[in-house]
Amino acid sequence: MRILKGLGFLALAGFILLPLVQTVMVSFTSTLPRDEMDLGSLTFLNYLNVFRTERLADSLVNSIIYVTLNVTICLAVALPAAYAFSRFRFRGARAVFFALLAFRVTPTVVLSLPIFLVFAKVNLLNTPVGVALAHCVFNVPIAIWILESFISAVPREYDETAFMDGHNYRSFILRRLVPVIGPGIGTAAFFCFVFSWVEVVLARTITITDGKPITTAITSLFGFNTDIGLVMAMTTLSLIPGLAMIWFVRNHISRGFTIRV
Amino acid sequence: MTRDLRAWLFLLPALSIIAFVGGIPIAINTWHSFFDILSLDERFWLGLEWYQALLTSERFYSSLLRSLCFSLAVITIQFPLGLFIALSLPKSGWVRSLGLILLALPLVVPWIMIPTMWVSLVDLESGYLGRLMAWAGIDFDYKFNALHTWILLLLMDTWHWVGLVAILACSGLASISPAYYQAAAIDQASRVQVFRYIEAPKLKGVLIMALLLRFMDSFMIYVEAFSVNAGGPNGATTFLSLDLGEEINGFNYGPAAARSVVYFLMTLGIVYAFWRIMRAEKSDEVTA
Repeated sequence: MRILKGLGFLALAGFILLPLVQTVMVSFTSTLPRDEMDLGSLTFLNYLNVFRTERLADSLVNSIIYVTLNVTICLAVALPAAYAFSRFRFRGARAVFFALLAFRVTPTVVLSLPIFLVFAKVNLLNTPVGVALAHCVFNVPIAIWILESFISAVPREYDETAFMDGHNYRSFILRRLVPVIGPGIGTAAFFCFVFSWVEVVLARTITITDGKPITTAITSLFGFNTDIGLVMAMTTLSLIPGLAMIWFVRNHISRGFTIRV
Repeated sequence: MTRDLRAWLFLLPALSIIAFVGGIPIAINTWHSFFDILSLDERFWLGLEWYQALLTSERFYSSLLRSLCFSLAVITIQFPLGLFIALSLPKSGWVRSLGLILLALPLVVPWIMIPTMWVSLVDLESGYLGRLMAWAGIDFDYKFNALHTWILLLLMDTWHWVGLVAILACSGLASISPAYYQAAAIDQASRVQVFRYIEAPKLKGVLIMALLLRFMDSFMIYVEAFSVNAGGPNGATTFLSLDLGEEINGFNYGPAAARSVVYFLMTLGIVYAFWRIMRAEKSDEVTA
């Protein structure tokens, strides 16, 4: 039985790691005929080429900008909302939760044309700010749910003591609540970061000429004579934020997919 | 309910953003769908014509059927597998931590990279899996063999998402107090009974959540399916979203707007059904 379980675990690990190992291996391989080295030899050249190619390096910067911006916006608006859901009973709460749920799961391809048309009117196309805002449609609900579950774990008496000490809502949330739900804020930030980082349809639709994300840059590498080594180097680089995130939230991974009704 | 207004004040920033990037775009888009849009300034009122054309086209229903089949296949594969993984993982220790980290890995890979990785993996000349199949004499041709395209898509989707089902199931299992297991051991309950009476009720909630997430994402699969074979061969993997993507990319704004509305309404219907089930589940928990 133990041996069987061990084999099962190895099979699972193999299945999950195989595509990743292939990707990393190819990223260190020269895949185009070059004068100075043989096809298939091991090299760091692909990574050097990523940083030498301006649009690739730029796209990395663009992605980091809009993802960071998205995390900031999501946390700022989700924190008061999560507090309201945790502490107040009010009419319409159910309707709001339904709306959050609906926008959380609406496929981005369905939203891409509507958002594109609105952003074209208000000049939000081709900028990381636009992408950061667009990604709020699924990240704000996620951040609200994660924060709400952490805030609900704090006893109400904690709030009341602070109010007696003369705190108003604003100073209570910022000075008293934020420190005690630190892990929750970290978890919410990491999930917003990752969901924004992996999204491609919206990011691509609203950046046609400028502000292109890493995902578009990779697609643009495919052509008549694709340097697959370069593609894989770019792919490997794009995995790093996600790997870091898993490490930081390893105890809270299931929270990122929580839905509260 | 004296605190009504204060709560809404706290919700205002979040709701404004969601309205700006969700509600308002959908509303404007719905308005657009009643027109023939030649350019942003020139358009003609058509009423429901786009909807009529879409809902009477055979292609819409065959794509719908394909998407439903894909979702069904995805759920049939990933739920038993994910549940099995969650039940087999030890309850504590480094094997569990390592397992959870492994399961989470594919979830953080940018979606566009996943087809690239898999296409490279099954390449008959350079991919590990491709060379293995070539060696075994399997002529894997995902470009021109519809069955092979489906297999690749399902394999890739399972790789990407089985971890989500397993992780959610694990979190459901972790919420069961050890006292229940001890009581079951004293009663000499069988493994099947433990699952049926102790684990299954606790898993229900998280599995409904997983089902909603998995159903929506597979039903409207776009990036992965498009990058592998662009809906081919011969439309065998043309799912709902691929039709929409084609219209958007072809600047067919009128039909695309109508189609977006139809798909959004389908999403609302599905979400509403799940929402009712989740609420019923929650009130069961409270009374139990």
